[in-house]
Amino acid sequence: MRHLLAAFIAAFQSDSSPAPSLPRQPLLAVTQSVMLNVVVNRIDAWAFQQDWANSGTRTWGRNLRVGWEWDEDQFGTNLLMHPYHGGLYFNAARANGLSFWEAAPVAFLGSWTWEYFGETDRPSLNDFFMTSFGGIALGEVFHRLAATIRDNGSRHRVVREIAALPLDPMGWLNRRLRRERTSALPNPPEHTPGALSVRLHAGARFIVDSRLNMSRGTPTVIVDFGYGDAFLQPYRAPYDAFRIRAIIGDRGLNALRATGRLYGPRTRHDHLFLVNQRFDYANNSAYRVGGQSIEAGLESHWRLPSGWQLRTEGYIDAILLGGVDAPTVGSGKRNYDFGPGGGVRFRVELGRRGRGYFAFSGQSEYIHAVSGASADHFLGYGGFEVTMPLGSSIGLGIHNTTFLRRSVNSDRPDDVRRFPELRIFLTWTDVTRPRSDP
Amino acid sequence: MRASIIITLLLGLLAPGAEGQRPHRAGLWIETGGGIGYVRIASSGSTTVTSAPGSTTYLSVGVLLSDKVLLGIENAGFVDEMLGFFRGDTSSIAQTWSLSVVVLWYPWRSGVFAKGGVGVAQGTFTVTPTGGGAPFTARGTGVGLNFGAGYDLKISRKIALTGCVCADIAGIGDVVLPSTRVDDMIASIYHVTIGITIR
Repeated sequence: MRHLLAAFIAAFQSDSSPAPSLPRQPLLAVTQSVMLNVVVNRIDAWAFQQDWANSGTRTWGRNLRVGWEWDEDQFGTNLLMHPYHGGLYFNAARANGLSFWEAAPVAFLGSWTWEYFGETDRPSLNDFFMTSFGGIALGEVFHRLAATIRDNGSRHRVVREIAALPLDPMGWLNRRLRRERTSALPNPPEHTPGALSVRLHAGARFIVDSRLNMSRGTPTVIVDFGYGDAFLQPYRAPYDAFRIRAIIGDRGLNALRATGRLYGPRTRHDHLFLVNQRFDYANNSAYRVGGQSIEAGLESHWRLPSGWQLRTEGYIDAILLGGVDAPTVGSGKRNYDFGPGGGVRFRVELGRRGRGYFAFSGQSEYIHAVSGASADHFLGYGGFEVTMPLGSSIGLGIHNTTFLRRSVNSDRPDDVRRFPELRIFLTWTDVTRPRSDP
Repeated sequence: MRASIIITLLLGLLAPGAEGQRPHRAGLWIETGGGIGYVRIASSGSTTVTSAPGSTTYLSVGVLLSDKVLLGIENAGFVDEMLGFFRGDTSSIAQTWSLSVVVLWYPWRSGVFAKGGVGVAQGTFTVTPTGGGAPFTARGTGVGLNFGAGYDLKISRKIALTGCVCADIAGIGDVVLPSTRVDDMIASIYHVTIGITIR
């Protein structure tokens, strides 16, 4: 127990230093996050004529006096756009040399000042959660992704800067202020994570709503991205290994899931105890679910003959705040609920040299609604994914998954929905491994 | 003789450590204390806010993560015996309870710290009917956030007095009482506490 505690403490101590190539400027970071609020508020008030942006001393006083509420914004606004906005605060700090843990309070500060002073509406507790915790998750993912895309030594430097701009605008702004976009500086350490993997799936997706007895097929693209590898690279800093999956379909961005390592052992081992931060957002034509979670569990790497490997993972999680469908119930205009919860998940993947060929997974979550319906939501998600290689990089992928939701309402009958889903894809995979990998 | 031994021991306990200001907390630490504050209860769809004074107690334990960051678990409770859900009513007792993971950040070498945490919160409301009869109790359980700023005043090598100006926010869902129903209740507790920290 004592050794476990010592290892845990040592892991966090490692990240107290900022990125080596940047001067540490906390005051500038805080100033930029507050100025970001002023700029966004004035654009909404002057350019888009939004009434909610006409805040002033009267609404500030009212907000300080009356305090928090739960808002009724759309699902995508609350569970995707607010985390993206929070990522801007967080990356104002990261772009000014603050470490992950030092940048986290800046996300909370930016969110708090926006909620109290940026809108005429009362401060929203769900926004504060989503902007702060989601902003930390998406902010660090986008900070590292943008650093990977940018390359100070590339001939296509301008194109790379533009490609990284939507992910990390605050990084772009600060590079411009410091004239780093054109100077011959070395790339930051985040530029080369060691292991990188990209898999693109393009094809069709068929989903069924059991309640409405309705199915539909839509063209869909899935992007899987892996940054770092927990088994190949011992823990150095939060999010030095993360995975994201983006699903683009009939509603634009249908899903975005990110899982980043917050803590892991500092030595290479085939069985790892990991603590991750998780960002979940799924908003398709059949169901909606999302939230901010922390999970802890065990990942194992089993070596098989001929370079094959089996990866297993099992986690328990705490949902800090989640959002889930509550059709015809919800709160006011909002037809989904907010609440904390928890759950478990597992995944088994068979692969070779960083490429997965067969995966089987399951997840079960519980959300206790504290805003919306008087309900407890039980969610289940599971299925398999098969990729049959057609060449070195090309393959044929088949996914079969099912999403289940059982909402136990205190004042009305239970609502049970089942959404089976089939996806058929052509896949393209590219994997870069560190040189030390056997 | 006994008195002089006790005085000597107390002086030894209270004498400042030789190593100066840092560290205020190291290794395993434990903090407990109490204070006063007020609770503000709001709900969705209503700008009516109920507030009342009360008292708070807390216990937290944790470890040092780095030179400036501490991690702990905090159990806090707040009792307000004068709450009312309408003007002039003080017949209810409100109790909130939370269990949170907290992070303390010491930005400078002094004892000043900022605190933030997230966890589980529960609110219990006991109402005594005006015409007499058994009290009615309603509960709501949900999510809790806390944040604040404080100061560790070192009084010996292992002990510090800790003051904090803190806020606990508890989103506890619907609470149904005989006279009223409060949807999507959020209880905000603002309090000033003083405690003792042992490391």
